[in-house]
Amino acid sequence: MAKNTAGVLASFEHIDAACDTIRALRAKGHKHLTVYYSHPNHELEEACGHHTSPVRLFTLIGGLTGVTAAFAMQIWMNRDWPLLVGGKPIVAIPAFVVIGFELTVLIGSLATLFGVFLLSVAMRNKGVIYDGRYSDDRIGVFVPAGGAEAASVERMLRDAGAVEVKHAAA
Amino acid sequence: MSDNDQKSVSRRKFLSVLGTTSAGAAVLSGCSTEKVEKLIPYLVQSEDQVPGVATWYASTCTECSAGCGLHVRTREGRAVKLEGNPEHPVNAGRLCAMGQAGLQGLYNPGRIKGPMQKSGGSWRQISWDDAIALLGQQVGAAGAGLAVLSGAPRGSLTGFLADFTAAAGGRLVRWEPFDQTALRLASKRIFGRDEVPTHDFAKAKYIVSFGADFLDTWGPTVENQRQFAESHGFSRDGGMAKHVYFAPRASLTGLNADEWHGIKPGSETALALAMAGVLLGERGIAAPAGAPSVSVEQAAEATGLKAEDISRFAKEFAAAQPSLAVAGGIGSQHAGAVELCAAVHLLNYAAGNLGETVRFGGDLDRGDGQAAFTALQQAMEAGQVKVLLVHEANPVYGTPKAGKFAEALAKVPFKVSTSLYVDETSSQCDLILPGLHALERWDDANPRAGVWGLMQPVMEPVYPNRNSGDVLLAASQKAGGVFAKFAAPSWEAYLKDRWAAMAKARGRDAATFWREALAKGGVYEPEAAVPVKAVVAGAVATEAPAIEGTGDFTLVPYASSLLYDGRGTNKPWLLETPDPVTKITWHAWVELHPDAAAKLDVKEGEILKVTSAHGSIEAPAYIYPGLRPDVVAIPMGFGHTEYGEYAKDRGPNYLDLLGPATGEFVAYLGTKVTVERLREYRKVAKTEGNPRQLGRGIAEAMPVAYAAKGLTVKEAATAAGHPPHEINTEAEVKALEGWREGQVGREDGEGRRLGNYAGEHPLWGMTIDLGKCTGCSACSTACYAENNIPWVGEDQVLRGRELSWIRIERYWEGGTDGEPVEARFVPMPCQHCDNAPCEPVCPVYAAYHTPDGLNGQVYNRCVGTRYCANNCPYKVRYFNWHAYARKAFVAPFELQLNPDVVVRARGVMEKCTFCVHRIRGAQHTAKVTGAPIKDGELTTACAQACPSGAIVFGDLNDPQSRVRQIAQDPRGYHILEDINVRPAITYLAKVVHREPAHAAPGGGEQH
Amino acid sequence: MAVAVEAAPSQPTQTHADVTRDVVATLAPATKGYYLLLFGAVGLFLIGAITLLLIVKEGLGLAGYQPPVFWSVFITTFVFWVGIGHAGTLISAILYLFRSPWRTAVYRATEAMTVFAVMTAALFPIIHIGRQWIFYWLLPYPNQRYLWPNFKSPLMWDVFAIGTYFTVSTSFLIFGLIPDVAAVRDKATGWRKTVYSLLSLNWQGTDNQWRHYSKAYLYLAALAAPLVLSVHSVVSWDFASSLIPGWHGTIFAPYFVAGAIYSGVGMVFTLLIPLRKYLKLEHMITDYHFDNMAKLTLFTGTILFYAYGMEYFVAWYSGNTFEQTTFFRRAFGPAWWAGWSMIIPNAFLSQLLWFRKIRTNLTSLFVISIFINIGMWFERYVIIQSLTNDYIPYAWDQMNPTWADWGILAGSFGWFGMWFLLFAKNFPVVAIQEIKEFIPMPRKRAGGHH
Repeated sequence: MAKNTAGVLASFEHIDAACDTIRALRAKGHKHLTVYYSHPNHELEEACGHHTSPVRLFTLIGGLTGVTAAFAMQIWMNRDWPLLVGGKPIVAIPAFVVIGFELTVLIGSLATLFGVFLLSVAMRNKGVIYDGRYSDDRIGVFVPAGGAEAASVERMLRDAGAVEVKHAAA
Repeated sequence: MSDNDQKSVSRRKFLSVLGTTSAGAAVLSGCSTEKVEKLIPYLVQSEDQVPGVATWYASTCTECSAGCGLHVRTREGRAVKLEGNPEHPVNAGRLCAMGQAGLQGLYNPGRIKGPMQKSGGSWRQISWDDAIALLGQQVGAAGAGLAVLSGAPRGSLTGFLADFTAAAGGRLVRWEPFDQTALRLASKRIFGRDEVPTHDFAKAKYIVSFGADFLDTWGPTVENQRQFAESHGFSRDGGMAKHVYFAPRASLTGLNADEWHGIKPGSETALALAMAGVLLGERGIAAPAGAPSVSVEQAAEATGLKAEDISRFAKEFAAAQPSLAVAGGIGSQHAGAVELCAAVHLLNYAAGNLGETVRFGGDLDRGDGQAAFTALQQAMEAGQVKVLLVHEANPVYGTPKAGKFAEALAKVPFKVSTSLYVDETSSQCDLILPGLHALERWDDANPRAGVWGLMQPVMEPVYPNRNSGDVLLAASQKAGGVFAKFAAPSWEAYLKDRWAAMAKARGRDAATFWREALAKGGVYEPEAAVPVKAVVAGAVATEAPAIEGTGDFTLVPYASSLLYDGRGTNKPWLLETPDPVTKITWHAWVELHPDAAAKLDVKEGEILKVTSAHGSIEAPAYIYPGLRPDVVAIPMGFGHTEYGEYAKDRGPNYLDLLGPATGEFVAYLGTKVTVERLREYRKVAKTEGNPRQLGRGIAEAMPVAYAAKGLTVKEAATAAGHPPHEINTEAEVKALEGWREGQVGREDGEGRRLGNYAGEHPLWGMTIDLGKCTGCSACSTACYAENNIPWVGEDQVLRGRELSWIRIERYWEGGTDGEPVEARFVPMPCQHCDNAPCEPVCPVYAAYHTPDGLNGQVYNRCVGTRYCANNCPYKVRYFNWHAYARKAFVAPFELQLNPDVVVRARGVMEKCTFCVHRIRGAQHTAKVTGAPIKDGELTTACAQACPSGAIVFGDLNDPQSRVRQIAQDPRGYHILEDINVRPAITYLAKVVHREPAHAAPGGGEQH
Repeated sequence: MAVAVEAAPSQPTQTHADVTRDVVATLAPATKGYYLLLFGAVGLFLIGAITLLLIVKEGLGLAGYQPPVFWSVFITTFVFWVGIGHAGTLISAILYLFRSPWRTAVYRATEAMTVFAVMTAALFPIIHIGRQWIFYWLLPYPNQRYLWPNFKSPLMWDVFAIGTYFTVSTSFLIFGLIPDVAAVRDKATGWRKTVYSLLSLNWQGTDNQWRHYSKAYLYLAALAAPLVLSVHSVVSWDFASSLIPGWHGTIFAPYFVAGAIYSGVGMVFTLLIPLRKYLKLEHMITDYHFDNMAKLTLFTGTILFYAYGMEYFVAWYSGNTFEQTTFFRRAFGPAWWAGWSMIIPNAFLSQLLWFRKIRTNLTSLFVISIFINIGMWFERYVIIQSLTNDYIPYAWDQMNPTWADWGILAGSFGWFGMWFLLFAKNFPVVAIQEIKEFIPMPRKRAGGHH
């Protein structure tokens, strides 16, 4: 793991408290917060105010690649080794639709997974401390701050209702 | 894995070792235990052996005594296929199933390897020198005690045997179970000629058969069938002969009749005489002196027919000139057989058929008859016979057990057999000097006056055995004395001498005469017809012969065209080829009429115990409509106790139910039996599913009147008031257009421009004339021989897994509520559809369409999904569920394999290829010689074999080709035309002398 | 989501901590009974494996194939398992898009069932071909012979459909598991912790991760939904695109899809009712869920009822003698018993589910589900048996399965059961994160959130 980021990590039990705090912090200009929570939650997502995930681009490109590849493959292979079967044309588009669809779905989903991996696992903000309870019932807010700033942030977090505050040294 | 299946096939082993590494490994490990051989390149070639090129030899078939001419196809010194010799007058290029299977006699694993002597009840191999010395010494000592029992007369060897026995004052008896003694005696009685006449079915316009199964076993069946097809096959100009069959049971011959009447056994004589009477009246001829007369009413009384019917037959018979009446078949060979044949002679005489369709002069000699045999047996019992030589005969099996021949045989001090196999008789002998198969030896055959067929060794003997002729000559020298005169150095030399004499008699140079004969397969001279007049010596008894014994049923024999008198039973091809009538394979059965079955409450497959005064047998029941309700029929040829692994333990022997043969011939029909249910069942190993067409228009037929008008099948159906088949939509009709013109699959756009498809190609097609097909199954057996089709055995047939590429379907029409039962035969090979449903469903392109319209099947590519077989509407694709080749081609059977056709591995689909290897071969030759393939010079194995010439193969794109012409016949139709798969096979509807029986409606009969 | 929360009547009233605790509790060391089951499954699987070895050695002839029946028990079982594999993705993907609240508690288990069912089905195309050792020829891989497969063959469509379905449903399952595995990781200790850490791909549930995750999950669902409908349609076209009477029905695609879901949900009952009891999940998987799944069963069962009826009607109305013969024999032919063991459980038994009492009575549901499984296996068997009587009467024949057929069938159940049991004991069979989604988090200020 890379060297730790200095900062303050607060744990919340109440969601409203957590959301208010996040909003307040962002208003104060703390941009690089890291918020931990155990399940998809709209309030928190709103509070963090992210714009829509770019993962959908992966899905789109993957799907298009799939359908193109499918038809290209089938048409080329049929013409590369032309054999008459059942009096059908060599390139029989209707018969190719099924595999066209299947590959759309296949490559589309694989691309999506790849996207998520790239965005959220590979590009994970490294060196931020974590607490096991965040996957259970706590919400964690980590504010990168050092020295004097850290003290002020901690005070603010405690006032906001953090049940616990930790300091992370660089 | 797949390669091991080919392991049994030595020729391919080399190739498979060269295969992919995994395959190579598999084979190498498989072969590691086998001896290492030093490979020597084929440097010194005999001039007639070019590797990869077939050499053809002319020869003569010895499977039955008809003496058909053969063309033997050999490859690398092995006979691989038998075909008829087109120049031969008897079979004119055709060959029956039995003839085709001759190869399995040649390569039979049951063949004896070298001479054997019995010492202390067990056999031991001895050297040929010792064997011949022993024989010579015994023969020399035998004197008048020497007897020879040979099969039917063959040719020079029969003559030699006569001289041989005569020299010592011994006796020669020429005997075979299915002789025609009755007919010969009748000829003697009526015309004073002790011979069997020749019959001309081709000329006859009206054929009446009184139980003479001329398509099964009676006379030269291939010739009969060819001629029958000629007269009875429909042609717009020539019309079509009518065939009426009188016998208690409809054999294959009966099923091919326009009218079958199951008259009372033994009543045929009265019927024939009554008809003769009417005829004489009609034509105002005086009956020959001493000829009995029977009134139509008496005949009606005797036969159970209507009087007006009998007069109708007589009038029709008289009206048709010339006509032909035949009798003397095994199926009606009862005590009164001579009377019957005599009556039929009179009938022919009355109709003026003598010299026309019934000719004397070309004596079809079939031996000395039962009387001579009985005499010999008595001599044996009396201990007068010291040495008995049995040649080409198996009397221990072939005579009724009650006749006690085996016991008589035991009384002979020294018994010698020349049999190729350990059969019931040779196993009882003291010395076996195994002879050579007809394809391995020098010999000749003289089936009738004017026809001399030659046999030449087409290959090295499979086993170190010797030609019986050579053995006897050598033995004569050893014996010395009276035998010393038989001094020819070899049988070949002896033969050449006799032929030199023939040449001399014809004022020809011996050498050229011999060479030409070898090339042509023999000498064929026009038969000298002898005019005869009726001199009725001795009266003709008119009353039916007594049927001995007690019981509700009369026992009727069924001599099949496959197993014949039992000699075919050691050949898997003949056992697996379904019986033409019942479609049962591999085992015996008991035939019951549906009414009788209903009365006894017997279902198909129930084991029945049939008991006569002389014994009882057990076999599963088969319900057969072509039978009188008061008779049971049992097939002959089963029940071997020896004769190799395939023949052994296959059902009961019909002859066990008969009494000892008395008189001139065996009365095969003449026993009453009781039938008893054993309440045990077995599945009958038959290849037929549902015997009804269910109105699906598979085997079409139309009355001769409509056919003459040139009506199509649909028009005929409408005219006959039957519901026409499903109406096609406009699109379908359009799609179906142009078939007959052979334009199939021409307009496939892109498909016809890419790859191999570019350019013009032939379009291979076939026509099958159901009016000519008799269902004899020769095509099927020929296909087995040509295409290396493995037989699968009884257990697999029970699972419906037989691989018969061309199956003969047999459908029943009528038979219900008083309608006469009618059989329709449909040969069903792959239809090579242009819109083949099997092709697109194959995921790996193992099934695809070739540019010349074949439905190709690539065995190496096939992974065995079997989707193609499911999707085939004709169900003509066959799957290798097991490694069948391994079982079917055990040594030395594998020597028969056709090198041009691959042996299919386990797990692949196979099917009829239209003999693609023949097509490619011909195309290759055409390319090399530059001469285009002429129509007719290329044909498939089935078409080549068909004795009726019902199958025609050729290029549908060639407007001149015969197949194209026939395909345009109005009778032409395609099976399942409505599903628009565009089959390449056009069937010509059968033509019948009455309205076609009303087919059952589709949903109607669900069995 | 908010709407959904109100829509769900009987939410288990628990805290998030309880959810994690209860689910993690299901991973506690297994009992004897569990191992007994597991060994049973492995045993069955071994029977199948040995049968397969013998088949590869001796040939397909060991099975009861009897031309013209070139397909039988193996393909029947193949379609049966593919069908089972449909409930899972339907519930997890399609109901997710519909925002059905009742899927959350059950979808993980059904999804696992799907994956293992498809894993089982995927074996059959290999088992049933004549030369199993070259099954890979069905794949379009570049080879020195320049041969390509035939994309016009429905069997090729199958290869792609099944392949895709397996890949997608598997990744869908794994994807949904990641946050839950992370949750388990944080509770686990010792070597298990290490394992789960690896499997969780170091998931921490940060705002950034969740943001991509939820979107990706939505798109995956959107892709998987039509896949569910397509896969069994493609399988049905194996039959529908042939010309065998009784096979080439235009009704087949919807008819098969309905049947698939019907059989799938049936199998869910069969698995979940005992599982829920054994893992003590009664308060999470409740009558409410079973009731809803039963309604789904009733719905698809009724579609089947219609499809069966329509098949017979069309056969009669077409006036086509081949169709008529086939359907007549289906009901009254030599194999009538098979025909009725398809119609009675599927068309009629399902109608019992109109009654709420039966829908919410687990015993009755369980019994019915067993019959559904049997009935649906026979549906495929009967359809394939149409081969016994197609165009050429002379070629008709019946077939009788042999020990080899039953051996492979047993093996397939063993293989499936083995995987499912292993999964149930080592992974959360209930989606922790999604359950939590439905449990409001504690708030300082009074009053629910908007």
